[in-house]
Amino acid sequence: MKIILVDDEQKFINMLAKRLTMRGIQADVVFTGRDAINRVKDTAYDVAVLDVKMPGISGIQLKKELKSIDSDLKFIFVTGHGIASRSEANMIEEDLYLSKPLDIETLIKKLNKIIKTG
Amino acid sequence: MIKINQTFIKNFWPTFHNHGQNSHLKSFYTFTDYWRLWVLSVLILIATALLPLCIVTIIHYQLIQKSVDSELNLRAERLSSNATSAINFFMEERLDALIFTVNEIGYDQLTNKRKLDEIFKNLKLGFGGLTDLSVLDTDGNQINYSGPFNLEGKNYKNQAWFSESLGKKYFISEVFNGYRDLPHIIIAVRSAKPDGSFFILRATLDTERLFQKLTSYRTGDHADLFLVNHEGILQTPSVNKGAIFEETDLILPKNSGNREIVETPPQKTDLFISKHSVISTKIVGTPFILVVQKKKADMMHTWLDLRRNINWTVGISAVLIVLVISFASTFMVNKLFLADKEKAETMLQMEQSHQLASIGQLAAGVAHEINNPLAVINQTAGYIKDLFSFKDEPRNDEEIVEYIDSILDSVDRCGTITQQLLGFVRQFDIKIKKVCLKKIIADVLNFHKKEAEYRQINVSTSFPDIIPEIITDKGKLQQILINLINNAFQAVDEGCSINIIVSWITMGTIEIVIQDTGCGIPEENLSQIHEPFFSTKQGRKGTGLGLSITYGLVKKIGGTISVQSTEGVGTAFTIVLPVKIQEKELE
Repeated sequence: MKIILVDDEQKFINMLAKRLTMRGIQADVVFTGRDAINRVKDTAYDVAVLDVKMPGISGIQLKKELKSIDSDLKFIFVTGHGIASRSEANMIEEDLYLSKPLDIETLIKKLNKIIKTG
Repeated sequence: MIKINQTFIKNFWPTFHNHGQNSHLKSFYTFTDYWRLWVLSVLILIATALLPLCIVTIIHYQLIQKSVDSELNLRAERLSSNATSAINFFMEERLDALIFTVNEIGYDQLTNKRKLDEIFKNLKLGFGGLTDLSVLDTDGNQINYSGPFNLEGKNYKNQAWFSESLGKKYFISEVFNGYRDLPHIIIAVRSAKPDGSFFILRATLDTERLFQKLTSYRTGDHADLFLVNHEGILQTPSVNKGAIFEETDLILPKNSGNREIVETPPQKTDLFISKHSVISTKIVGTPFILVVQKKKADMMHTWLDLRRNINWTVGISAVLIVLVISFASTFMVNKLFLADKEKAETMLQMEQSHQLASIGQLAAGVAHEINNPLAVINQTAGYIKDLFSFKDEPRNDEEIVEYIDSILDSVDRCGTITQQLLGFVRQFDIKIKKVCLKKIIADVLNFHKKEAEYRQINVSTSFPDIIPEIITDKGKLQQILINLINNAFQAVDEGCSINIIVSWITMGTIEIVIQDTGCGIPEENLSQIHEPFFSTKQGRKGTGLGLSITYGLVKKIGGTISVQSTEGVGTAFTIVLPVKIQEKELE
C-alpha cells in the first residue's frame, strides 16, 4: 500500500510517516496542497491522507483537485478540530474522518478498509 | 389572611429601596434613581389633585366671608342708625324745651329764682335728663340758677363753651368737667332782652342718662357704642377704646352737619366692624360722633364653625388623597421597578450567555491549537515505543533524545495555550489592573493565528512609540476585543486584511481602531447594530447580542465606541478609552 500524507504540521506528519513505514505502509509526506498536486501527478498512490484545514488550498478543495488527476485515489481526512461547516460535513463521509491526536492503529484499520472496499 | 397581607405589603411597600444593591444589574436598569421617580410622581399627583381642591376651598371661603361681612355691615349699620336717632332725639328734645322756655317765658321771669326753680322742676318732670338750669348775661355772670349745686354767682366768661355759645343762637357743648369736676354737657340758647342785649339760658345735661341710653343699645358683649368728638377724644366711656376723655386712633369722617355713616377702612389687626355717625339735631350740629363697633370674630361665630368644619373636611380629604397617591405611586413605581429589574436580569443573563458562547468559541479554537501539539506528542511517543518494539538492536541515544525533545516542545506549546486560556477564564472577575494593550491584542490575535493562515487573511497591528498601558477592567477589555476581532474575521473573505491601530488621542485617552476590508454594513443597518437581537448573520452564526454587549461593556469601562462602514469596502470600529478608569464607572 502506498499513501501520501498532506498536513502543514510537519513534526506530526513526519513522525506518522516513520511509524506507518515501520508497519509496512509506504508513506510519502508533503506539507502543502500545491506540493501534493505535483506529487500525485508524478506518482500513483492508493490513499491520500489530508488535513482539512491548511494554508492555501483546504483539504476539501485539494480532494477535488487530486480526484481530477487520479480518479482511483481514495481519501481519509484528519483534522485538529471539528468539521467547520455543514458543507464540509456533507463532503466528508463519516467513516473517512479522523480527529487529532491520531491513533495509528485506527488509521491503519481505515486504510485497510478503504483499500478493500475500493 | 397572612398571604393577603404579604401581597398587599409587597405591592404597596417600596420594594425599589434596594435598587442598586446588585452592582452587576445596576448598569442594565433604565432608571437610575427610583426614589426620585417616586417623589416626582407623588408631588405631581398631589399638586394635580390638591390644587383644584384648595382653589375651590379658597373661593368658598371668600364667598362666605363676603356674605357674612355684608350681613355684619348691615347689622352694624342698623344699630348705628337706631342709636344715632335716639341720641339725636335726646339732644333735640332738650334743646327744643329750652327754646320753648326762652320764647314763652320772658327774661324777667327767668331771672326770678322761684320761677326758674318751677320751670326746672317742670322740665325735669316733662323730659328728664337735666341736671341744672341757669341764666347768664353776656359777661358770663350767672344771673339766676336752679339746681342741686352751689353755683350761684359763678362767672363762666373764661370757659370755652361760653365764648362759643355767645356767637351762636343755639349751642351744644362737648363733654367737659367744668366747676363741678364732673363730666357734663351744656345746652345753651341765646335770646334778646327787652333792652336789646342778649342773655343765655343754659342747661346741663345728665350725662349718666346719656350713657345709659347708649348702653341700652349695646346688644351682647360684642358691641361697643360710644361718642367721640371730631378730634377723636372719647366723650363717653368705651369698652374697647378706654375711659372718657382718652384719645383714640379712629379715622373719623369729615365734619358734616348731616347724618352720615362712614365705614372705616378695615385694618388687619382690627377685628371689628366699625361704623361712625355724626350726631346733628335739626336745629344745630353737635360736636359728637357716634361710634358703633362690633367684634367680628364673635359675631362671625357661625361662619367660624362652618369654616372649622370645612377645614376638617378639606384636611381629612387632603390626608386621604396624599395617602392614596403615595400608595398608588408606590404601586406603580414598584411595578415599573420589577419590570425594569426583570429586563435587567434578562440582559445580564444574555450577557452571561454571550460570554459563555464566546468561551465556547474560544474553546473550539483552543482545542484545535492543543490537538496539533498533542498529535505530535502522540506520534513521537508512539515512534519511541515503536523503536523498542520493531527494532532488535538498541537505538543510539541521540535519536531518542531528539524525539523526547520533540515531545517536550509540544508539551510547551500546550502549556502556552492553556496559560492563555486561563488568562481568559480569569477575566470574568472584575479586576482593575494595569493592562498592556499590545500584549492583550496579541493574545486575542493568537487564537486567530491559524485561521488567518488558512484563510490567507493579512492581520496587521500598529502601535505608537510609547506603547499604552492602561488601568482598566482587563476581562471586559478582552471581551470587547474578542467580540470585535471575531466580527472582523467573520466579515472578511479570503485574502482580505484586518488592521488594528492603537493611537493616543490625549494624554488621558487612547483610541483603538479595528478595521477590516470585509463586506461592510449596509447604511440602513448602521443605526441598529448596537440594538440587542439585531443580526444579519444567517442561521446559527449570530445571536444578535455581540455588538449590543460590546457597546455595553465599552460604556462600563468608561469608553465610547463608534462605527464607520461602507458596504463592499469595509468597516472600522473605533473605541476611545480612558487611560485610567474611574472606580464609579464600574459600580
